[in-house]
Amino acid sequence: MGDKTKSRGFVRRVALDRGLNKVKEMVLELSGIAKEAVRLSIEALKEKSREKIEKVYELEKRSDVLNMDIEDECLTLAALQQPVARDLRFIASMMRISNNYERICDLAQKIAYIAEKTIDKPLLKPLIDVPRMGKLVIEMLEINEESIRTGDTSMLEMELKARDDEIDLLYSQTYNELVGYMVRIPHRIDDAIDLLFVAKHLERMGDLVAKSAARLVYIEEGRRVWIK
Amino acid sequence: MKIEVKELSAWYGSHQVLRSVSMGVRENMITAIIGPSGCGKTTLLRCLNRMHELVDGARVEGEVLLDGENIYDPSVDPVEVRRRIGMVFQKPNPFPHMSIFDNVAIGLKLAGVRDKRKLREVVEDCLKKAALWDEVKDKLDQPGGRLSGGQQQRLCIARALATSPEVLLFDEPTSALDPISAMRIENLMLSLKREYTIVIVTHNIQQAARVSDYTAFLYRGVLVEYGETAVMFKTPRHKLTEEYLTGRFG
Ligand SMILES: Nc1ncnc2c1ncn2[C@@H]1O[C@H](COP(=O)(O)OP(=O)(O)OP(=O)(O)O)[C@@H](O)[C@H]1O
Ligand SMILES: [Mg+2]
Repeated sequence: MGDKTKSRGFVRRVALDRGLNKVKEMVLELSGIAKEAVRLSIEALKEKSREKIEKVYELEKRSDVLNMDIEDECLTLAALQQPVARDLRFIASMMRISNNYERICDLAQKIAYIAEKTIDKPLLKPLIDVPRMGKLVIEMLEINEESIRTGDTSMLEMELKARDDEIDLLYSQTYNELVGYMVRIPHRIDDAIDLLFVAKHLERMGDLVAKSAARLVYIEEGRRVWIK
Repeated sequence: MKIEVKELSAWYGSHQVLRSVSMGVRENMITAIIGPSGCGKTTLLRCLNRMHELVDGARVEGEVLLDGENIYDPSVDPVEVRRRIGMVFQKPNPFPHMSIFDNVAIGLKLAGVRDKRKLREVVEDCLKKAALWDEVKDKLDQPGGRLSGGQQQRLCIARALATSPEVLLFDEPTSALDPISAMRIENLMLSLKREYTIVIVTHNIQQAARVSDYTAFLYRGVLVEYGETAVMFKTPRHKLTEEYLTGRFG
């Protein structure tokens, strides 16, 4: 009896572990796509590069497909392997994280739209805070990636909160600055609003990565946290 | 609490298999006991209705309170305990040559009930509760051994119900059954818990997840973790529980 149980457990884990690992790799790939989309969308805005705009659109499409594949993989595992405990938390949370990352690609695409719309106009102002926000989002995604790889979430809350706070600060700074532009240069108010949207999208991305980090803490520790 | 287990230890000769187990069994709930083979699940279950002591050289320390009264108190009659706390075993064990009717009525007959009408009433009622009535009502005089495995198990449940127990103990009641028959038994347990308090030992952790309200995880005779099933299956507190639930050992 003991041996039979053991071998049954073993078989079950082989299939489940393979599936969990696959989901992990797919989410890491999606994270890579999201980072690339964020980086390119801001460069496209700054450099007025049609090529980079197109690249962002392409990445966004890939993120949609990948997100769907991740969901399929997770649902298959849930249906066939009856995951519980960490396995269950992992599957449910990875579906959410994948959704969040796909949303980040959507937001990068919105930034690319703005870049496309304003491609023939000079920049309202040199872009400094916006690329800084983008860089922070990418850093946050990388910190999450490291946690996904190692399962270590001990520093996650602290590291992400610091960066998310900085993004929020940069956002309100940008907001105030752009309101100033709107007052002083009313004929370019539409450009100021576009730029404000860019900043808002980036701030939203920060939230999404922070929410994803909270999910990672739940996976590893079973603890519900709010990183905000 | 319907049953309260207090620092219960159990031995076979000098071999200690339960180590100071304490847990409460809630009334009208299903409590599952899970754990690797040999960890003491069956022994714990058998301590709950004083069947453990039927084994030669077996011994118990600690208390089991049924409605607040210690069933190991010298003044308590073990036969009465076993009437109030019925048991259903892993392998369906009807009396194969006895009729379906008598299989259910036997407990009452042994207790001296002679009234034919009363017996019929109880048999019908128990077979209905055991979700077997419709399948056997036209062949009550046929031998119990001719039923399918799943039907035999439900017959044993009907037999256990006939003496009006308050608690039902199930020791791996579906491990010898096909998935459909097993699902029938699970559904049956869910309907029985309205009237009875149920404790089930199972190797099938998915079954524990599906039917139980509370789960106890036993490892080498020690109660490692005990709590709400939904919580334990999402966020087990103990590393050993996590490893057992996720199939890292069995
Ligand atoms: N009649 C007995 N005499 C001596 N030792 C016994 C007896 N019954 C069980 N044991 C021992 O007691 C320990 C616990 O047995 P028990 O049957 O309670 O385990 P279990 O958890 O129900 O296992 P399984 O999942 O295989 O049914 C085991 O080591 C077993 O070998
Ligand atoms: Mg057993």
